[in-house]
Amino acid sequence: MNHFTFSWGKNYIAVRGLLRVLGQDLVAPPAINTAMATKGIETAHPFLCFSGKLVLGQLRAQLEQGNRSMVFMSSLGPEACRCADTSEYLEGAFGEDFDGFSAHRIGGGSFGGALANLRSNFGPRIRKHDCFRAYAMFCGKVDLLFKIEKQCTALRCLSSEPQAVQALEEVALERVDRTNTMVGLWRVSRWFDRAAERLPRRSAPPSLRIGIVGGEHILSELDSVMARIKRLAEKGIYIDWRSGFRLLARSTPERLAPLKERCRDYLHDEPSTSEIFSCAHALEFAEEGYDGVLHVYAFGCMPQSALKPVLQRVAQDAGIPLLSLSIGDRFAEEGLENRLEAFVDLLTEKRASKRRIHTVHTAKGAA
Amino acid sequence: MVSAETPIRIGIPRSILHYEFGGAIASFVERLGPTVVLSPETNDDIFRRGKRLVIDELCFPIKAFVGHVAALAETDVDRIFVPVVTSHESGRVFPCHPRTRLADIVRALRVCDAGRLLTPAVTFDANGLTRDGFLSVGRALGASDEEIGRALPAPTRAARATEAAIVGDDRPVIGIIGHPYLVADPWMNGSLVDRLEDLGCASLTGTDIGIPLSPDGTGLHFELAAHTLVAGRRLDGMQAVDGIVFLLAFNCGPDGDIAGHLARTIRKPLLTLVLDELQSPAGMLTRIEAFVDLIDRTSASRVAATGGCT
Repeated sequence: MNHFTFSWGKNYIAVRGLLRVLGQDLVAPPAINTAMATKGIETAHPFLCFSGKLVLGQLRAQLEQGNRSMVFMSSLGPEACRCADTSEYLEGAFGEDFDGFSAHRIGGGSFGGALANLRSNFGPRIRKHDCFRAYAMFCGKVDLLFKIEKQCTALRCLSSEPQAVQALEEVALERVDRTNTMVGLWRVSRWFDRAAERLPRRSAPPSLRIGIVGGEHILSELDSVMARIKRLAEKGIYIDWRSGFRLLARSTPERLAPLKERCRDYLHDEPSTSEIFSCAHALEFAEEGYDGVLHVYAFGCMPQSALKPVLQRVAQDAGIPLLSLSIGDRFAEEGLENRLEAFVDLLTEKRASKRRIHTVHTAKGAA
Repeated sequence: MVSAETPIRIGIPRSILHYEFGGAIASFVERLGPTVVLSPETNDDIFRRGKRLVIDELCFPIKAFVGHVAALAETDVDRIFVPVVTSHESGRVFPCHPRTRLADIVRALRVCDAGRLLTPAVTFDANGLTRDGFLSVGRALGASDEEIGRALPAPTRAARATEAAIVGDDRPVIGIIGHPYLVADPWMNGSLVDRLEDLGCASLTGTDIGIPLSPDGTGLHFELAAHTLVAGRRLDGMQAVDGIVFLLAFNCGPDGDIAGHLARTIRKPLLTLVLDELQSPAGMLTRIEAFVDLIDRTSASRVAATGGCT
């Protein structure tokens, strides 16, 4: 049976991989556009975060195309935010307009929870072994998708042929989607590494290095907001981010402990993983000498809104420029471009003045 | 500390957690020995201080909360109490993120010297702070477990008495739902209870009818949204209740998520009042008057219809 879901960037490919192991399939979600965002804004309560509105708009567009069986990947627990157990409420939002609409949560806070969800959605015949294989495929694909996206963004800055990078990314994504075995995924990964290595490099180093932190939902929205931000890479700016669904899914208290420790001066007990990532990564970028930090989050995102004053404090203490981009209903591409351009200008000037000061000091030292 | 000759003065913001836990923290701290100084009731000045400090998009109550801390910071209190609400005992419902981050927000904004802040991590359950929560508060004040044990509050059964009293009231009864710190803070809700009284109505809140802070079984993620939803459903099912006012703070994610669901499923007249920093008393009064008029007319036509039948 063909299900549908929201895109989460390219992560729907991993959801599709999971479903295919279970004999199900998933239609590819349409790219998010302005009309879809408008649909989401009209469907949602004004206080829902902008990411949530984009998701609702994309779901509505797919319902209008005749799809009815929705699946969504969500864990339960403090990380889950609003998408946890919202089936009843999604059905309330869409059920009146679309006969036969149903929403099924896949995923769970534990293996037992995930198995129970798969069985309730796809029948009691799902065995533990099937569940294990399905989630192994999901995690394998999420990992590889993250790697491809991250490396290709870096290569757009480092390579002298950005068009070749784009072509490589498209082929790599297609291969990940087609592959249905773990060995196959390993082969795609090896092929990608070799192909990436063969791409010609620019002779000049990156003009700037910018670290990105923020809400994982908006960071994974690749069709409009992040597409524009990542285009900075084509101007020779090295873009780095260290968060994403891959890391949210893989976070354990042990893995988070060192990052949490790093944030001790800024975050009190029990912060959510998203908050730890944003704060710790901003500190890392500052320590590693990045030129600036971009904080990207959806208007109405509760964890990231609460974190904004904390990041402002981090940036002040560390002396690193910070631009907070709150993406909301009135998001306009021109406005985003203008703010990014101004930020890049500021960072470029800051770097140039640092170089001038260094030159003067060196000259004085030599004299 | 508890037996010190001059007890230390602990400032407690009269906002969010104070109302949420029904003042339990202030009473408990007082029983331990320190002198409790509550910030004044929310007023224009307090709110303006918070608003100046907090980023625009955080919800309305957070701005008020920060204003309360700023007001306390200007007094001679030794410490200011900003507990960190971490998790629910059940592990099935959760506090919203800004409420869990109050201490971080206050610290990052440098509302007062960080050394004056007391920020113990506390857990809660359906009835409020857990025993562990009180232990954490007490230990932060340097009290021994024995002293804490003596100061623990006794359970109360006042809620049902209020419900029984209102059932015999001849006036139209308006149910009020929303987060406790909106329902209980007159400045935040535009003196709703007083205005209803002036218009000849009685009011009944979720807390009055004994709805726990975090009722189970709604499937909702956020505990106070579950409180709002269950209170709404219960009041909707009570014959004595004529209509319901839903207090929704600007940019409150959890209650925003259920606002549409409530509007679709509540059968009694429902007025959703979005509370924000731009609210005008005149506009608020007009909406409440219109709602009460509607309730009166609905009741009158129901009486007329029933009279016609009998």
